[in-house]
Amino acid sequence: MLNKSKSENAYQIFIHIAVGIIVCASIFPLLYVLGMSLTTLGEMQRRNFFVIIPMEPTIEAYKRLLITDYIWRSLGVSIFRSLIGTLLLLCLTMTGAYVLARKSLPGRKFFLFFILVTVLFNGGMIPTYLVVKQLGLTNSVWSLIIPMLVDSFGLLAIKVFIENLPDEIIEAARIDGTGDFQLLIRIVFPLTIPSLAAIGMFNAVIHWNNWFDAMLYITNKTYYPFQLIIRNMFSSGMSSLDSALTMKASQRVSAETLRMAAVIFGIIPILCVYPFLQKHFSKGMFIGSIKG
Amino acid sequence: MNKNQLLWKRIVQHKTLYLLLLPLIFYYIFLRYWPIVLAWIVAFKNLQMGSGVSTSPWVGFDNFKFIVSDPEIATAFKNTVQISLLRLAVGFMPPIFLAIMFHDMTSKTLKKYAQTAVYIPYFFSWVIIYGIAFAFFSTGSGFVNNLLDMMGLPRQEFLMSTDWFRPILIIMSMWKELGWGTIIYMAALSTVDTQLYEAAIMDGAGPLKRIAHITIPSILPVVTFVLCINLGHMFYAGGEQVLLFYNKAVMDVADIIDTWVYRVGIGNMRFSLGAAVGLLQSLFGMILILASNHASKKLTGNGIW
Repeated sequence: MLNKSKSENAYQIFIHIAVGIIVCASIFPLLYVLGMSLTTLGEMQRRNFFVIIPMEPTIEAYKRLLITDYIWRSLGVSIFRSLIGTLLLLCLTMTGAYVLARKSLPGRKFFLFFILVTVLFNGGMIPTYLVVKQLGLTNSVWSLIIPMLVDSFGLLAIKVFIENLPDEIIEAARIDGTGDFQLLIRIVFPLTIPSLAAIGMFNAVIHWNNWFDAMLYITNKTYYPFQLIIRNMFSSGMSSLDSALTMKASQRVSAETLRMAAVIFGIIPILCVYPFLQKHFSKGMFIGSIKG
Repeated sequence: MNKNQLLWKRIVQHKTLYLLLLPLIFYYIFLRYWPIVLAWIVAFKNLQMGSGVSTSPWVGFDNFKFIVSDPEIATAFKNTVQISLLRLAVGFMPPIFLAIMFHDMTSKTLKKYAQTAVYIPYFFSWVIIYGIAFAFFSTGSGFVNNLLDMMGLPRQEFLMSTDWFRPILIIMSMWKELGWGTIIYMAALSTVDTQLYEAAIMDGAGPLKRIAHITIPSILPVVTFVLCINLGHMFYAGGEQVLLFYNKAVMDVADIIDTWVYRVGIGNMRFSLGAAVGLLQSLFGMILILASNHASKKLTGNGIW
């Protein structure tokens, strides 16, 4: 008996240590980036750019980023695409899923097949680029929204959710003579709100994080989303940053500090919605949707 | 009433629903199907800078002949498969181990906090991931180089080195995805009957025995399923990440199909070549996915669909 509990204890200690190490490895890089984003130029130079906890923290880098015109604008673009893009996606998802969940709809199987084909086979980067160009969307915020209007997995997940709603609710309403549109607005939509919120949150995160579509479709810097600005801060050194920003900033903070502050800015919205996200994916809802 | 009239009556009954479906249909036609059609057209034309889809000349299989003979594309295909296999070899097991450890942790509060912490990086963009890689591996101010410097060792140009490119690529994608990868296993483990474990403990089975005889058999179908999905994505080696991480110095080991298509297809405006390579990638990818789905169904009774 004693021997057995020894092995149980040893195992528990081992997994707690191993998980502890993995947790530290997940968190430490963030803290390190945060620390660097708060360090003054003087301290960077004094400590040879090796700062984990800044002794004289400064929010200068954040201020510099926020007083820069095009960074404001890019934050605006990112917020716009995340909010409006997600809202439109949810409208399409709600109506589409509602219709496709109706088993009596003639042609339903065809429509579902029509959607599933595109999950399996897509045109690829170049043809999609050509279509966005043909539609005249390049160099407009809509090029970042319209191609992402539907998330097929989310659509199918909501469809399954509506199918699983208790039949009595729907039937009762239909006997009362409620029309299809009224049924959607008054009964199905309110019941679906929690699931829609989850799909919406995921897609808002995808919108906020997307930078590659802007690299394809947008050449006018006015419409760059924030993630693309961060990317450019790293890829071409500071040359892509407004020289005024660098000049003024360089007296107080280093280029590294500015970059790290931008990274933190890119992370903050994610951290804000994360608690809501976790509530949903830990329920396994998305795994169910992929396999359903 | 004959059959057609009945069908027509049902269609009319559902007219509101069809109307509601219309935006979705438009979306799929213009943004999902039209690109597929264009891919097949453009791949057999010579569409370059300045010309339009309809005005550019048909060239038959010229683009594909070029693809077969071009050494740069061959390298990109080779790198794509190598990087995918490397990701699989290094990244496949850790989420399974981590899920088993989460599952066996006796302190549920610690487990919850740990899960919260390891899931977060999945939701960061690849740009952010590159920023963090830069903070750790850049030559002048990177954390790792600062450590090396402190120990009196020479600084390494990690981000410009052909030896380090792939390890760093994989370390960073594991940092992002390790936690997320456990979710599918956690879902499978949550359905395991806890009485099985209690019975095993009564029978004197230690922790390792329980893992071998209860935990692993109960997630094995999911493991096979995930493996099949990963094999199906062999021709997609993470274009977004490579595009951010690579540079001229590491091109030989870094250039993959996606980055080639972006660089040559969009960058040099050789749209037809890019579309043709993309078409091949998509076709191969589809065959692999169908094959691995078939394999998964055969092996586990569990397909992707």
